[in-house]
Amino acid sequence: MKKKLTALLMIAVLMFALASCGQQKEEENNSNEPVEEPKVFHVGVVQLVQHPALDAATEGFQDALKEKLGDRVVFDVKNGSGEPANCTTIVNGFISDEVDLIMANATPAVAAAATATSVIPILGTSVTEYGAALDIDNFNGTSGFNVSGTSDLAPLDQQAQMVKDLFPDAKVVGILFCSSEANSKYQVKVVSECLTKLGMEPREFSFTDTNDIAAVAQQACDESDVIYIPTDNKAADCAETINNVASVANVPIIAGEEGICKACGVATLTIDYYDLGHETGLMAFEILENGADISKMEIRYAPEFTKKFNPALAEKFGLTFGSDYVAIED
Amino acid sequence: MSVIDYFYSLDPAKLLKNLPGGVAQGILWGLMALGVYITFRLLNVSDLTVEGSFATGGAVTVVLITGGGPAWLRAVFGASAGQFPTWAALLMAFFVGVLCGLVTGMLHSYLGIPAILAGILTQLALFSVNLHIMDMSSNIPVSVDKYPLYVSGRYVLRSIPVAAVITAAIIGILYWYFGTEQGSAIRSTGNNPVMSSAQGIDIEKMKMIGFALSNGIVALAGGLVAQYQGFADVNMGRGASVIGLAAVIIGDVASRAIFKGHINFAVKMAFVILGGIVYYAVVILVLWLKLDTNDLKLFTALIVALFLGIPYLQSKKRESFASAAKGGSGNAET
Repeated sequence: MKKKLTALLMIAVLMFALASCGQQKEEENNSNEPVEEPKVFHVGVVQLVQHPALDAATEGFQDALKEKLGDRVVFDVKNGSGEPANCTTIVNGFISDEVDLIMANATPAVAAAATATSVIPILGTSVTEYGAALDIDNFNGTSGFNVSGTSDLAPLDQQAQMVKDLFPDAKVVGILFCSSEANSKYQVKVVSECLTKLGMEPREFSFTDTNDIAAVAQQACDESDVIYIPTDNKAADCAETINNVASVANVPIIAGEEGICKACGVATLTIDYYDLGHETGLMAFEILENGADISKMEIRYAPEFTKKFNPALAEKFGLTFGSDYVAIED
Repeated sequence: MSVIDYFYSLDPAKLLKNLPGGVAQGILWGLMALGVYITFRLLNVSDLTVEGSFATGGAVTVVLITGGGPAWLRAVFGASAGQFPTWAALLMAFFVGVLCGLVTGMLHSYLGIPAILAGILTQLALFSVNLHIMDMSSNIPVSVDKYPLYVSGRYVLRSIPVAAVITAAIIGILYWYFGTEQGSAIRSTGNNPVMSSAQGIDIEKMKMIGFALSNGIVALAGGLVAQYQGFADVNMGRGASVIGLAAVIIGDVASRAIFKGHINFAVKMAFVILGGIVYYAVVILVLWLKLDTNDLKLFTALIVALFLGIPYLQSKKRESFASAAKGGSGNAET
């Protein structure tokens, strides 16, 4: 018992000794450094889960800052591996590291970061609706506090129009989405309104998991003339499963983003997550280097939208596309 | 980067600065683990309902605090138009958690479904229930700037004592309860169901109460964690059973290392909270060591396996003839 207590005490003393060493070193560094040396920015990146679209956004963000700042930026990229609680732990680490800026990728990551600090600038990406994610009523594009970023909101009205243009005879449009996706609910609401205005009947089909997607997709195929899938991470993960069902049932799919369209859709009006991340990186540059005030920065959207089609599935459904459509390459 | 550069890049001061956040998260998840302790240690069953009921607690708390929920419930607490009291939101989370536990208990007792499966079934169902509670959104933010939250990641140093006081109060209540006739009956049910039944204890009822109490505490913890992280998410219960188990085992190993012989029940429960803190300290250490977070779950599993293995190895060491002659030590908790 006594021995153990002594050991514990010694460990504690050692920890404090080590800690004070670290501090001393920092102070020495400060006094030796020439004043003129340009500041190296420390940027923490917290990403909710390993996912192709989110990975692309993180990559674009890093590339943009590296282009602008070269070696003067250091990244600390951490992934929550799908557990929202991990985002809180990771952000907590960034705050003790006193990073200059936090990039939070996906809604729970942004919410965790916004809770943890009201001082360090936070840029979000892969978030569809910032008003909902930050609990701001009547959101007008700026948060008024330390959060801004880029939205992955696709032009939903134009996507609904695309459904109408490509399938003028379609009556029932099935909307297939995952109920655990923060972003999908909003998209489904908006696109349903657009489809109704265009004289079509939207019908919602939500799945909860990779396990029930096939059954829900089957039901959607049975009841609809065309299926629309919004920008939905879970749907993107299961796109092949959806394709297996829909191509047998002969129901065409219009997708909210390219990844889904590549696997199971005929056409999409898409944003590129790499570009979105890149745009976020440019915002970060303005904040870090030019001292822009993040609380007054408007949420930005993807720089450009592209109409794309899936050649193999287009042929299957006998659709031909004009020159304004770009074929998705394998 | 060479190995030496790597070690130079690690700053112990930063690790220390990081610890308070870990302590706060550790206490809150430790409270969740206290719920796991009731089923895992006292009832001697593994209950996986927690991954669902934890998120349920978060959802109920956040929905009520942010102005949602049924009108009659708001009227009961005099909050028809105004702010729903935070304590009442947590109380509701506890009650809904109790209901979740009762469902598992009924599946187990009335339909004869093995406890682990009954828990998985309830957890599965709760995913949909949680979505309904949150009005079909998977993530609802709750900002500390807008609502009177008890704990928040924004104010770590204020959150720690608040979390500690709430946890201490719950440990106190549990200590009293498990000393009552009913509480003792629950403990004896876990220790020896056949003997308890022979003594006239309704063991099915006792298990049901155990499941209910356990999930009530888990949901309460979920409500506090949602406040701390600033949002309720339908996936927030992910990993809860592993973290709970880890905290219980770490607490167990630590208490046995420090105390010899009989350990007071309240102290045992306090060590579960300590287990939660140690768990988060280890996670923070892993992050501080700049290990790739893609491997985070691998490290987590390794840590839990390590602590799960320690009691077994210790008991093997004890299982000599000498200690057997002394009467050895029983496995069951008392």
